[in-house]
Amino acid sequence: MSRFFRQAGDSDSDSESSDDESMSSGAEDVPQRPLAPAKQAPGSMSRFLKTAGSDSSDSDSDEDSDSDSDAPPPRRPGLPTVDDSDDDDQSDDDAPGVRIKSASERRLDEMKATGKVIENGLKINDWVAISNEFDKLARMVQRQHNVSEPVPPFYVQTLVSLEGSLNTAVAKEKEAKKKMNATNAKALTAVKQKVKKALKEYEAEVKKFQEDPEGFEREYSAIVAPEPTAPGRRAATQVPDDNVSDDFTTVGKGGKVMQFTSEGIFKNLQAVQEARGKKILTIAQNTDRAEQIRILEKLLEVAATSYQRIRVLLALISSRFDYNSSVSTHMPIELWLHAQREVDQLVSIVASDGNYSIQEVTDDYDELVERSPATEGGVVRIRGSIISFIDRLDDEFTRSLQNIDPHGTEYVDRLKDEKGLYCTICRAQAFYEKTKQDEPLGRVIMRRLEHIYSKPNAVVTALEAAADASEIQPGMILSVQGTTTALIHSLCVYLYRSGNSLLRTRAMLSHIYHHALHNEFYTARDMLLMSHMQESIHSADVGTQILYNRTVVQLGLCAFRSGLIKEAQATLQEIFTTQRVKELLAQGVHQQRFQILTPEQEKAEKQRQLPFHMHINTELLEAAFLVSSMLVEIPLLASIESDELKRKTISKPFRRLLDFADRQVFTGPPESTRDHIMQASKALQDGDWEQCRDLIQSIKIWSLMPEAAAVKEMLAERIQEQGLRTYLFTYAPHYSTLSISLLSRTFSLPVNTVTSIVSKMIWNEELSASLDQSGDVVVFHRIEPSRTQQLAQTLAEKLAAMVDQSEKALDAKMGGASGWGDRTDGTKGDKRGEQAQERRGRGERTRGARGGARGGRGGRFSQGLGNQMPGQRAQAAA
Amino acid sequence: MAEYDLSKTIIPYLDRHLSFPLLAHLAESKLFSDKEVTAAQYELAKGTNMFDYAVNLFEQLYPDQEVPAEFDEKRKNAVSTHERLQQEAQAVLDVIENPDVAQALRQDKNQNLLYLKDNYNLTLDQITALYNFGQFQYSYGNYSGAADYLYHFRVLSTDNDLNTSAHWGKLASDILTGKWTVALEELNTLRESIDSRSAPSVLLSSGSSTAEPALMQLHSRTWLVHWSLFVYFNYPQGRTLLLETFLSPTYLNTIQTSCPWILRYLTTAAILSRKASALPSSSSTPISSRVRNAIREVVKVIQTEEYQYQDPVTSFLKELYIEFDFDAAQRELARAEKVVADDFFLGEFKEEFLDNARYLISEAYCRIHQKIDIADLSKRLNLSRDEGEKWIVNLIRETRMGADAKIDLEKNVIEINRPPLPVYQTIIEKTRGLALRTQALGAAAARSGQQSSGVAKSEALSPTVAVK
Repeated sequence: MSRFFRQAGDSDSDSESSDDESMSSGAEDVPQRPLAPAKQAPGSMSRFLKTAGSDSSDSDSDEDSDSDSDAPPPRRPGLPTVDDSDDDDQSDDDAPGVRIKSASERRLDEMKATGKVIENGLKINDWVAISNEFDKLARMVQRQHNVSEPVPPFYVQTLVSLEGSLNTAVAKEKEAKKKMNATNAKALTAVKQKVKKALKEYEAEVKKFQEDPEGFEREYSAIVAPEPTAPGRRAATQVPDDNVSDDFTTVGKGGKVMQFTSEGIFKNLQAVQEARGKKILTIAQNTDRAEQIRILEKLLEVAATSYQRIRVLLALISSRFDYNSSVSTHMPIELWLHAQREVDQLVSIVASDGNYSIQEVTDDYDELVERSPATEGGVVRIRGSIISFIDRLDDEFTRSLQNIDPHGTEYVDRLKDEKGLYCTICRAQAFYEKTKQDEPLGRVIMRRLEHIYSKPNAVVTALEAAADASEIQPGMILSVQGTTTALIHSLCVYLYRSGNSLLRTRAMLSHIYHHALHNEFYTARDMLLMSHMQESIHSADVGTQILYNRTVVQLGLCAFRSGLIKEAQATLQEIFTTQRVKELLAQGVHQQRFQILTPEQEKAEKQRQLPFHMHINTELLEAAFLVSSMLVEIPLLASIESDELKRKTISKPFRRLLDFADRQVFTGPPESTRDHIMQASKALQDGDWEQCRDLIQSIKIWSLMPEAAAVKEMLAERIQEQGLRTYLFTYAPHYSTLSISLLSRTFSLPVNTVTSIVSKMIWNEELSASLDQSGDVVVFHRIEPSRTQQLAQTLAEKLAAMVDQSEKALDAKMGGASGWGDRTDGTKGDKRGEQAQERRGRGERTRGARGGARGGRGGRFSQGLGNQMPGQRAQAAA
Repeated sequence: MAEYDLSKTIIPYLDRHLSFPLLAHLAESKLFSDKEVTAAQYELAKGTNMFDYAVNLFEQLYPDQEVPAEFDEKRKNAVSTHERLQQEAQAVLDVIENPDVAQALRQDKNQNLLYLKDNYNLTLDQITALYNFGQFQYSYGNYSGAADYLYHFRVLSTDNDLNTSAHWGKLASDILTGKWTVALEELNTLRESIDSRSAPSVLLSSGSSTAEPALMQLHSRTWLVHWSLFVYFNYPQGRTLLLETFLSPTYLNTIQTSCPWILRYLTTAAILSRKASALPSSSSTPISSRVRNAIREVVKVIQTEEYQYQDPVTSFLKELYIEFDFDAAQRELARAEKVVADDFFLGEFKEEFLDNARYLISEAYCRIHQKIDIADLSKRLNLSRDEGEKWIVNLIRETRMGADAKIDLEKNVIEINRPPLPVYQTIIEKTRGLALRTQALGAAAARSGQQSSGVAKSEALSPTVAVK
């Protein structure tokens, strides 16, 4: 008290110093400042006011306290009008104590009254009143703001609650059958807008308030409340001040650091855990979390028993994962490494001591009491979940890979951590195997499988070697199983047996992918077809759909490598028709032309992206697809005479590119892969297979394919064969006979192969010709149909197509094939068969054993088969 | 040729008793040493109640050793069991063979049981005695007796598991006694019961009923496929039936997934029934299109399963119809001939197989070629020149190629002159089925329309009823 008075009575210099002091106490203490000038003598005050402008205009409670000791200050002409009310307040109140209180408090009371009215208004849904009152409130706050007093928590609180009730009101209004009357509704919208504006204005405060209501209030009161008792104020402000600043730096536990002993562990743990729940987004947040982690690390050092260690580790790992928020894209690598090590530690503790078990659901227990197998009478159960740590660890790893530039060294460095992660996963697997927990075991095995299924043998061997080195090993390891395929097989078989259908599906796809990667096309294909995945993949989650797409694509590549051109084409076809290959494989975000993704969608999309090292090279993929399309399509194009039929295409993307290339006036030397293939296609069309081969083989991307030389060889062979076929189709009309030996020379194929190809074409009625054995020539029989005949043929085909369409339409309408389709199909097939047979009998009579009986049931059957495999992929990953 | 012998692959899918004929055949065919085969037979016989046979084999195998004493003991056991079981079964049989009872029995099994219980005090347990006795008889080789008892049991019993088991037992007994017609019936009913039921324990051993039903079904089908070989290759029209069965989607799947080696039999059957498909009008029963296009379908399957299974028989078809390499086809045919001759099931059909295979070659050859050197063709058919000529003349006559094919003796060639298909005919072929299909379509549409309108009508009626 005396000090204050001394101060108050003191000269400028003293007040200067207090001013300095308040300045130094930080930005949030700004309101403290006014009390300094307030204590000054009127003369200096006016000077201050003049110089400091609006800042000095704060006539605060302090000022009031001054005014009782000093003479009432003279009228200040330059002051804003708002201050008048303050002055009025001053003049109203005579008793210093009361007056001091009322100056700020009255405003507060006023506000509270207004708030009450608003509350009442809310209750009866009277938005007009609310609007008015809110305006009033806003004005008052504005005034207070003008006097540079902090926004009272009450106002913020009102704002927040008002916002909440507004939202519900609007929502209710939307649903309500009976609308509000016009004025009320108008008021509602007005209030809504005002609140919005206010919220924006006081964003920081609101945020602070929401985070920590008590803290906010305390802060406010620290500034406002204790002023009346001036000397006490200093101490009072000092204490909360300390509290506040402590909160942000050392969590107020600076003093407790000394108490890190094994006895105090649980208390500390609990404190940290409580803090965890509270701390939120502030600038100081990360330092705060770092502090927590540091405390936990220290706790870990002093932890004496297994129980303590487990408890501390559980807390420590989760706070590590909590460390970064949504702001940064991925977890700092340093932290991740620590977390990984700690998970290892945790697993090894639990694995080595069977008396402790970590479970997601346990009975309640006292967090503060040390427990041991002895006290628990058996196994000590602790709440926690190792599998979720493993999941999180793996996810964070992927996320970091997604966000690191794949072309930098950082990426490679990061990839090296996979080894450690893999070991951790293996260790966890071993642990779950030992404790026979099937559900997490399935998950952990799936994680493990995902790390190795798409990798070449060498990488898997390296990973496994690292896992071998660890002290506890799972049941399935490479050194036991022998080959990677066997390892993956055993992992998958476990997952097939487990009940979880999602894991089963994913395991199956990974297994197929692995087979395809190792060029076992038939096994992979059979597995895919037998799984009937293509029927159900639509209903799967996006991640699985992506995996499915990857698998299918890999299967196509596998077929291509094995020289099964047709299969490769058919498999890759569907995914290329969508023109969204990258998106479907989650290897890049598709640029949407007509719609804009919302940020959430974009974020989800980004999260789905595969890390770079898992990518399937799309350029290689495209090359494989286009080349196989070329080999299928070009002979087909050549075999079709009329323009009418040319519309039937097998590979639309290829045809489009070809048409585009055809339209080009000038063609330069090929540059891109596409150019190469297009020019090669043209060469093939012209029967120039050598150039075609050279062009195809000079595509650079082949070097990315394993055993590229063999693939090139195979392609050359296929080009020769298809070249021959194209040649025959194109030039047959111009010859009456062609010597087989000439053909064999032109296409440098052995005579046998040429004969075989020609025979095949004749047998399949693609070529109307026959072989003359004595002269070793192909004899062409060609009849040029007249215009009428051609038209008649077209008409007949269209008719057939129409009937097909109507049948399909009826099928669809009747709901599935189980309706009439089955029954009539049987009879129809039989009938058609009968006819075919009859026809064939006649055919034989008239012109020898001609195959006949084409179409009919066979056609239908193959149609059915053809539909089996594709058809499902298109939207798979939409 | 031992590498193409399938006995080893097939036997695991057969009953112990069904394997004996196979082993006996192996002993005859001399593919393996006698000693090995006898040892195998002995091992098999040891597990049955056919002690005399086992002892016999043992003596053959180890002429200088004493016959183990356990056989005597077992024999005694078996005899006593036999008597006990026979008594139990006899009680039931007495009742059943009573003409009154036979008359009173109806379709409904439950009612029958009730009837038997009320009138003759016959319980289900007693009826099960029939099953036990039948099984026992089977185990010591009295197959016809076993078949009888199992038949009676099946008529009466309501126990599903035992019934299926009895089914299999009856089938095996019928096969072993060589009653092919009965066996075929049995086979068909068994097939129906397998197809209709997805319930577990369709298989003989009901112990593994924990497995998934689909898996069980696959197993039963696999077994059925193997057992049916006995029937199909002995029954007169068996080959056609085999094609009919094995080419149906479910069984084709079974073959592709679990036993691709059956393709050999499928292929052979397809080749053998070539005549049936070539001369459709001759057979009284209409053959389904499945059989008619058998070869084409089989070729398709062979192509897809090539990576899993191939032998000379399948590669013959492959070379002929996929590669069109007649030289290779001829080579494969020569090897296939041996394989077929050595095979237990196919041995008898060797000549027929060759005949048909040659026909297929010449058919394909003629279709592709315009002028054929007779000598060359004969060579392709593995025939001497004169034989070849005769064969070709027969072929031309038989297959009504006469109009197109002419033999030019001077140059020693066949000239085949096939006019290209006239345009009008292609159009007729294309449009032939359309009218019928459209009719079917119309009928189906009308039927569905009726149904829905029927529903509508009944709905319209219901309120009036309610009012009344």
